Amino acid sequence: MAKKVLIIEDDKFLRKVLVRKISAEGYQIVEATDGEKGLKSVEEEKPDLVLLDLVLPEMNGFEVLAKIKKNPNHMISKIPVIVLSNLGEEKDIKKGLELGADDYLIKAYFTPGEILKKIENVLKK
Amino acid sequence: MFFWKKENKKNNNKKEEWFYESLPGTNLMITDYFTDGLLIFDKDNKIILLNPKAEEFFEVKEENVLGESILELGRFSRFYPLVSLLGGGIKEVFRRELQIDEGFILEVTSVGILKDGARVAILVILHDISRDKLTQKMKTDFVTVAAHQLRTPTSAIKWSLQVLLEEDLGKLNKEQKKVLEKTYETNEKVIHLVNDLLNVAEIEEGKYLSKMVLFNIEELVQEIIKDLKEQITEKKISLILEKPEEQLPQIMLDVEKMKIAIKNILDNAIKYTLSKGKVLVSLKRESEKNIIIQIQDTGVGIPFEEQDKIFTKFFRGSNIKKIDTEGTGLGLYIAKNIIEAHKGSIWFESEEGRGTTFYITLPIKERFGEYLTGEFY
Repeated sequence: MAKKVLIIEDDKFLRKVLVRKISAEGYQIVEATDGEKGLKSVEEEKPDLVLLDLVLPEMNGFEVLAKIKKNPNHMISKIPVIVLSNLGEEKDIKKGLELGADDYLIKAYFTPGEILKKIENVLKK
Repeated sequence: MFFWKKENKKNNNKKEEWFYESLPGTNLMITDYFTDGLLIFDKDNKIILLNPKAEEFFEVKEENVLGESILELGRFSRFYPLVSLLGGGIKEVFRRELQIDEGFILEVTSVGILKDGARVAILVILHDISRDKLTQKMKTDFVTVAAHQLRTPTSAIKWSLQVLLEEDLGKLNKEQKKVLEKTYETNEKVIHLVNDLLNVAEIEEGKYLSKMVLFNIEELVQEIIKDLKEQITEKKISLILEKPEEQLPQIMLDVEKMKIAIKNILDNAIKYTLSKGKVLVSLKRESEKNIIIQIQDTGVGIPFEEQDKIFTKFFRGSNIKKIDTEGTGLGLYIAKNIIEAHKGSIWFESEEGRGTTFYITLPIKERFGEYLTGEFY
């Protein structure tokens, strides 16, 4: 069965590029446009992996990440999360990893192809 | 206003005391009207004057502290930073920044007054620079926000070009591919510039070193060379790494930052050396206390009359502007700041048309605490 990837990203264009790239590899995609909807999708859809932006409306990505990783339901808290953001300061990266992100990618440094490889790496673990 | 010592004739004990002369015909003191704070200590480091501006800065009354030693003043929380800066012996400093309180920053200068070669008093002049600091911070914050805002559109451009280039949306002809590749490269340069701006903003905020760890500098240099391999091969440059005779000790580094610094210098050496030229990188222990890294190239060199400007923000040599129109002029400024934040130093020797050698020294320090002597006390 195709693995399910949830993309939480508010920028329509970036989301579209990601969806196209990742779905072309046979993944099933669920999209969310803000933090609150994203968290709801995590709980309802139980994806195999979450791709999470940090600067989001409604609830920021750090909060979403914390809520996933601290969820009492193990089926939720164990879902791997890759942060995909343009917040590139060391304090942000440190915070993201401390909250339990499996990887932290800065958008400007990675192409969609490279992001796809990171997704495959995390799913292999 | 003058002040001098004379015998106090009113008291019969003949004790020497300090006297001040007021404005002629009045009992007003000029120092009462200074917009800077002023403290005067006598030869025994006891306070003999604290003007109204200083009273305001430290929230104490002159009459309550006169005659006290500088160390005794340390009991007031607002005095404490000054006491730890100057010490019990009141050392002389020139324009040192000192944070008294959140958002309240003074620039401190202390000058000894000498008579027959002996210090008879010391003046401590306090200039309030809080507003300048705030303006500076607002400017830096603006750069940070603007640079961050630029990241999203540059990412969007990068991603979409990549999708096109990988031919996910259909096959491209040769010409289309070439144009898109050029666009991609240009966008990468914008991304690089944005990073440089963020680095500069961090430097100017003074929050520079963050993750200090013990690290092997040789390993770091090798990693940088590996990152630049493509450029080295492309330009057919023969790069020689001269390793130290004995294993260098690990030193405290902010690895990410130091990598940026050394990479900027090596990247310049490669970029500004003509094809088939030579670049030599050597690592040595210079003394008990220092490691020295030397990066020598056979490149275009730095014109003599521009040599004193090359570490200045946005400065680019007149000869390199002709070779490469796209540099930002921030690389060496960033490198120098990172190296100096590590208490190291950087300098160079260069001759136009023959090449340049950069020298970097880094102190052999093994504890983070040894770095905790920044601008603020």
